Amino acid sequence: MRIKIDHLKCTGCKLCEVVCSLQHTEAVNLWRSRIRVFITEDYCLPVIGGPYTEAMCNSKDVVFVEGKEIDGCVVCRASCPAKSIFKEPDTAIPLKCDFCGDPPDPQCVAWCDADALTICD
Amino acid sequence: MFGWKGKMLRVDLSRRNCSVEETPSDLIRDYMGGRGAGVKILFDEIDPRIDPLGPENKLIFATGPLVGTGVPAGGRYIVVSKSPLSGAIANPCCGGYFGPNLKFAGYDLLIIEGKSPEPVYLFIRNDVVEIRSADQLWGKWATETERLLRAEMSEDFDEWELNNMSIVTIGPAGENLVKFACIMSDGGRAAGRSGLGAVMGSKNLKGLAVSGTGEVKIADVDGFKKAVMDFFEEGRANETLEKRRRWGTWSLPGRANKTGTQAALNFQSGYFEPFTKFEDPDFIRDSIRVRDEACFGCPFACSKRSRIEDLAYPGTTKGPEHESMALLGSNCGIGDLDDIYRANYLCNELGMDTISAGAIISCAMELFEKGYLPEKDIGYPLSFGSNESMFQLMRKTALREDFGDLLAEGGDALAQKYGHPELFMGIKGMGMPAWHPQGIEVIGLQYATNNVGGCHTKATLPFYEGRKDPKHHVRLTKQDQDYIAVVDSSVLCWIIYHGPLWGEKLLSWLQITTGIDYTENDLSLIGERIWNLERIFNLKAGISKKDDRLPKRITDEPRVKNQVVHLDRMLPEYYKFRGWDENGIPTPEKLQQLGLEKEGAGL
Repeated sequence: MRIKIDHLKCTGCKLCEVVCSLQHTEAVNLWRSRIRVFITEDYCLPVIGGPYTEAMCNSKDVVFVEGKEIDGCVVCRASCPAKSIFKEPDTAIPLKCDFCGDPPDPQCVAWCDADALTICD
Repeated sequence: MFGWKGKMLRVDLSRRNCSVEETPSDLIRDYMGGRGAGVKILFDEIDPRIDPLGPENKLIFATGPLVGTGVPAGGRYIVVSKSPLSGAIANPCCGGYFGPNLKFAGYDLLIIEGKSPEPVYLFIRNDVVEIRSADQLWGKWATETERLLRAEMSEDFDEWELNNMSIVTIGPAGENLVKFACIMSDGGRAAGRSGLGAVMGSKNLKGLAVSGTGEVKIADVDGFKKAVMDFFEEGRANETLEKRRRWGTWSLPGRANKTGTQAALNFQSGYFEPFTKFEDPDFIRDSIRVRDEACFGCPFACSKRSRIEDLAYPGTTKGPEHESMALLGSNCGIGDLDDIYRANYLCNELGMDTISAGAIISCAMELFEKGYLPEKDIGYPLSFGSNESMFQLMRKTALREDFGDLLAEGGDALAQKYGHPELFMGIKGMGMPAWHPQGIEVIGLQYATNNVGGCHTKATLPFYEGRKDPKHHVRLTKQDQDYIAVVDSSVLCWIIYHGPLWGEKLLSWLQITTGIDYTENDLSLIGERIWNLERIFNLKAGISKKDDRLPKRITDEPRVKNQVVHLDRMLPEYYKFRGWDENGIPTPEKLQQLGLEKEGAGL
C-alpha cells in the first residue's frame, strides 16, 4: 500500500499536517507531523516521512518539478541522517509514517478534501 | 488551556524591549480574542484622539481560540489599530499562514508599540524575539522583501521551516505613509482596509518573520476529527461553497453586473458593459489562474494565484478578487482582464489597498472628466478607462511623487481640494467596496453604520431570504454585525462563515475546541459588546452620527434601478434597535447590559 501524491491538486491547506499531528500527539503541532507540505507559487508539494535509511545516500541530486529545479532531498521520502526535517523536535528521533496503524487508515488521505492524496496498492 | 495559548507578546520598538504577558482571563471571557481582544487592549492603552501615525499608536496582531487548530477556514488573523485613513478603529483581517504561525510560536496576540529610530524587522521564533535591521529592505516591493528575508535566513533553518515561516511586510506605500497602505503577507495576501501599512511604516517596521514549533491543544480531539469529516461533506453539498472552491470570488463580478449591482464609473452606474464577459467565471479562471491557494486549514481554497504573460509584471500574484476587479476595473472604466490584473499586481506589490486605490483613482477620473481637475495638475489625461495613466499614478502615489502625493492623502482630501467633496464615494474617509448599495438597500445601511467605514467585511453579503424586504433591514444589519464580530474574534473566515446558515457551526467549533459550554446567547452578547466598544472608541475619537452617512449620490441620485437608499429612514430605527440614543450614543441601560459602564463613561 502506498500513498499517491498529486501535487497539482494540493492547495496547501496543511490539514494533512494538522491531522497527522493530532493522530500521533493529540494536539496540533506541525513539527511532529509525518507529512509536510512545501509551498511554491506554482504548486504545493506534500512530502511523507518514509522508511529509515542507515546512511545518507550518494545520489543527492536536483530534480525538476513543473520545469523548476528542486533539491532532491526535499522530495525524497526517506528519513535519512542527512535530512533535518522529520525529526521529533525534543528527541531528534526520525519521524516515520505508520499509515496510521493496523489496519492501515491514513488520516492525511481521509482529510485531503482536494484529493491530492490517495491510496494505491 | 485549550484553543488559546494564554500568552501575549509585547514589543516596544522605542525602547527595543520585549515582554511576555499572560492573556488576561477576563479578556478571553468578555471579548474572546482576535478583533474583540484587540479593540479592548487598544481602548485601554491609548487615547482615541491620538495621531494614528504617531509613536503613541499601537498595532495589535491578533489571533483567536480557533486559529491554528485546523478548524476549516480558521487560519486568519486580525490587525487592530487606529486608522490613519478614517481616524476610526481599524480591524482588517487577513488569511494565509501568519495567524497559525503566531499561535505555534506561543502567542495569542502580538502588541507593537513605540517607534524604531531606523528601519527594522521583527523576528519571532518561539521565545526568541529579535529586532533586526531592515536597512537593506527599505524601498523594496512586498514580494521582493519576502524573498530577500527568506534568503537572509536560509542558512539558519531547514528547508521546511524556511518554507513554513510566515512573513509580513509593507511595500513602499506603507513606508511613505500612504493613508491606504496595507499590510501584506504570504505572497500577496493583504490586511487591506484602513491603511495600517502606514502605521507600520510610521513605526519604521518593515516586516515580521514568524516561526513557531509549539502546539495548539483541542479539548475534544475525537469529536473534532469527526466534526471536520462531517464538515467536508456538508461543504460538498453546499452550492455556494462549491462555487467558492472553483472560482473564489470570480463568480461575483459577472453576477453583480448582470443584476445591476456592480460599482461602475465611480458609482455613477451599476452596470459596465465590458464586464458581461465575466458572466462566465471560467473565462477568468482559464485566463489567469495558476493554482487554487488555501489559507491554513481551509478545504475550500477560494483564493486564486494568478499570472499573465507580461515581462513587466513578473511572477505571480493573488487575485484579483471581486472587490478589486470592481474598484480597479468597472469603477475606473477598465474592462480588460489583463489591465485589471496589472492594477491589482501593482497594488499588492506596492502595498496599497486595492479597494481604496480604485475608489480614489475613480474619483480623480470623474473630477478630470467633469473639468474640475485640470490636466496640468496630473501631468497626463486621466479619463475613465485610461489604463496607462492609472498604472503610472499608482506608482507615483506609493512613492508620494507629483500628483500622487495628494492621492496618498486619501479620497476626501482629493475631492475637497478640487471643490467637490460629494464626488468621493467614501464613508468615514474610506472608499466604498463593490456592491452598489442602490441595488441591495440593506448593504447601504451596513456600510453607513460600519465602525471602520466603507468596508464589506464587517457585516455580510445578504444571501438570505427576505433580504429585499425593508422591514428586516435594521434587525438583520445588527444581527450580522454582531455575528461577524464573533467570527473575527474566534478567528474564522467571514467569507466561509457568513450568513445565518453558519451560526450554529461557529458555536459548535468553539465548544469542541475550547471545551467551554458557550451558548448562542453568550456569543451574541460578546459580538454586541465588541461592536459597542468599537463605537465608543470612535465616539471618543470624534467620529459620530455625522459620519454615519452615505455619499449623496447613493441617497439622493437614483442611479441603479431608479432606487435610492433611504438612510434617513433606516438610521434612527437602527440606533433605536441597537439601544443607542438619537445621536447614536449607547444609552446607560445598554452599557450596563454589556458591562461597558466604565468604558462608556463621559460620552
